[in-house]
Amino acid sequence: MKNRLRVLRAEREWSQADLAERLEVSRQSVNAIETGKYDPSLPLAFKLARLFGTTIEGIFTDKN
Amino acid sequence: MERSTGSPAKYRMEGRILLLIVPLFVLDGVLGYWGFHYHHLHPTGALAYLCAFLNSMPMIAFIVVIGLYLAEEKDDFMRALWVQSMLWGIGVTLTVTTFCGTLAKYGQGPLIDIPSIQFVFSLVMIFSMVVIKWRNR
Repeated sequence: MKNRLRVLRAEREWSQADLAERLEVSRQSVNAIETGKYDPSLPLAFKLARLFGTTIEGIFTDKN
Repeated sequence: MERSTGSPAKYRMEGRILLLIVPLFVLDGVLGYWGFHYHHLHPTGALAYLCAFLNSMPMIAFIVVIGLYLAEEKDDFMRALWVQSMLWGIGVTLTVTTFCGTLAKYGQGPLIDIPSIQFVFSLVMIFSMVVIKWRNR
């Protein structure tokens, strides 16, 4: 799954650690999601969407 | 410097490891040392059963502590890392013991020291955790 997490994070000048703290997850989790190594659970995807004031589709897009 | 991103569940697990598992592993080491150096003084009867029970406790405690962590951890990714590490630990331990056991059965190798299997499991699990974390640093 592709995502715009790095862009959204850069717009707010947040580091991975900043975002991890806001999401209450580890920095490794943020890195794994950003690099597409790991797809977040639905609750975490909703949390991300709320945090960035957008929808899940606004952050994640299906590769197909 | 990177901030600590340890979750409350991780801190609880580390506390449980220090309080529960480390003393049991120390006891395990003492029993192993005793068995190796004083094999003519092997316990018998109820004491032998007690020693065997105490020797098996670290493994059970380890599984319980990891199980509690997996139940309490809210970070899905970290849960997945621990599950992957446990699978590596279980897989390598079963492979090594089956390999060595089969060789010993045919008289081709030394009989593996059964209590040391838990050390093999722990070492493989810790090593795989380090590798997996390094890959996702």
